[in-house]
Formats: sequence, structure tokens, C-alpha cells
Amino acid sequence: MAAEANRMMCPSCGAEMNHHAEKLLYASDAADAASVDPVLGGILEELYSCPACGESASRRAPGG
Amino acid sequence: MNAASGMTEPVRALFIPVILGTVRQGRMSHPVARLLASELSRRPGIETDLIDLARIPIRIDDAGQSAKDPTFAAQMDRADALVIVSPEYNHGYPGLLKHVLDTCLEEYIHKAVGVVGVSAGPFGGTRGIQDLLPVLRELGLVTIFWDVNFSSVQTVFDESGSLRDDAYLSRIDKFLKELVWMAKTLRHGREHVALE
Repeated sequence: MAAEANRMMCPSCGAEMNHHAEKLLYASDAADAASVDPVLGGILEELYSCPACGESASRRAPGG
Repeated sequence: MNAASGMTEPVRALFIPVILGTVRQGRMSHPVARLLASELSRRPGIETDLIDLARIPIRIDDAGQSAKDPTFAAQMDRADALVIVSPEYNHGYPGLLKHVLDTCLEEYIHKAVGVVGVSAGPFGGTRGIQDLLPVLRELGLVTIFWDVNFSSVQTVFDESGSLRDDAYLSRIDKFLKELVWMAKTLRHGREHVALE
């Protein structure tokens, strides 16, 4: 159920996007401090690509 | 479907722009970048563009993603791979190239990159390339192992900008073959292979 809720849909064509990468970003802004993963030491960004149209998108990892 | 690879051949053309990594007046990297873009444009299924740093209205009173130029960012987002043509200045790559590359991040991730080194001396930009590789890795780009090195670049082109030595075309062919293979493979991965 959780995985279903976390699906990323393509903003261009509506297809389900493929989650292909995670990138750790280091917070330089105090406003981002609350989003820092205490174990990884940064903000985890998820990267997605659409298998139907090639659109790319990203979002912060849940809980980040 | 390509039976040998099991991968579907791309229906959408691959977009592989060439970044001209210097703004110096009289830059000899310009004919090199034009040559790379010309060789890319001859290949079926490839679209390219020559991105000239001198034409990007990038801010120099800020740095990083907050200085992002929307046109450059859209080109990086669309790209499947990059060719970076970088001269070597004082044993390094140009500072403005780093400044512009740093304005994007997620646009690069899991995309291929190949570097073409240019120098007036005998080493063909190799020291600049070596310095650039860890930067490209941190940006999320995937480097190929072929480079093209233009040594003594002032002797490589004639006054009209035409190539004098066709041996470069064979080296460029090997470089682009690997880059295109990596671009296709990474596009397939981005779109079809999930992180587990």
C-alpha cells in the first residue's frame, strides 16, 4: 500500500515513472536543516524518468 | 528490439549537445567543438546543438543552482549525453566551465559524458581532463573511457577552420561510438531499470 502511494506519475503524460537514482544533497540553507537525514548526513533526492515519454522529475525522499 | 542486446532501439532521437567550455577571445576550442557537433549530426538518430558558454547569460554574482539559466537547464534536462570540449589553462579546465556546470545537478544524473581536451602544447588537454573527471562524477554524470586530445591545436585547422589531419576523424569516431552506446544504455536504465 505504501509503495502504491509513493508512485511517481509523469507530469507530462501520466505514466508511472521509473525511480532510477537517489542523490544526497548537502544542505547549505538553514531552512533545509530539518530535512537532513541524520544517518546519511544530507537531503535525499529521488530521481525519476518516464518510460513512455522520457520526461524526468525529482522529489525529496519520503521522510526527508 | 535488438536481439543481441535485448534492448528496444530508441524511438526518440538521442540528444547529445556539445558544450564549448571556454569564452576566451580567439579560442581554438571553437573549431574543435564545431567539428564534434558536425560529426555527431552525421549519425542517424542523434540530435545535437553547440552550446557556447559565451552565449549563456549566467550570473557571476551567485553560484550553484540558484544561478541556473533556464535555457541551459532545459538543454541539460533534454540531453542523453554531453560532449564537453575543454581547453587546458594553467594545467586545469576553465573556471567558467565549472561555474556553468555547477548551476545544474538533477538534470545530469545517469547521463553519459565524454571530454575532448584542447591545448596549444603537446599534451592535448589531458591534465585538464583528469581534473574535470571527479567533478563530472559528483554531478551524477557517467564518464566514458575514450577521450579525444587536440595537441598543438593551432596547427590542426587551416585558416577557414577546416581540419588538416583526418586522423582525428577516426579518433572522434571511436569516442562517439562509445558515447552513443553509453547514452542508449543509460537512457534504457533511467527509464526501465528501477533502483532496488
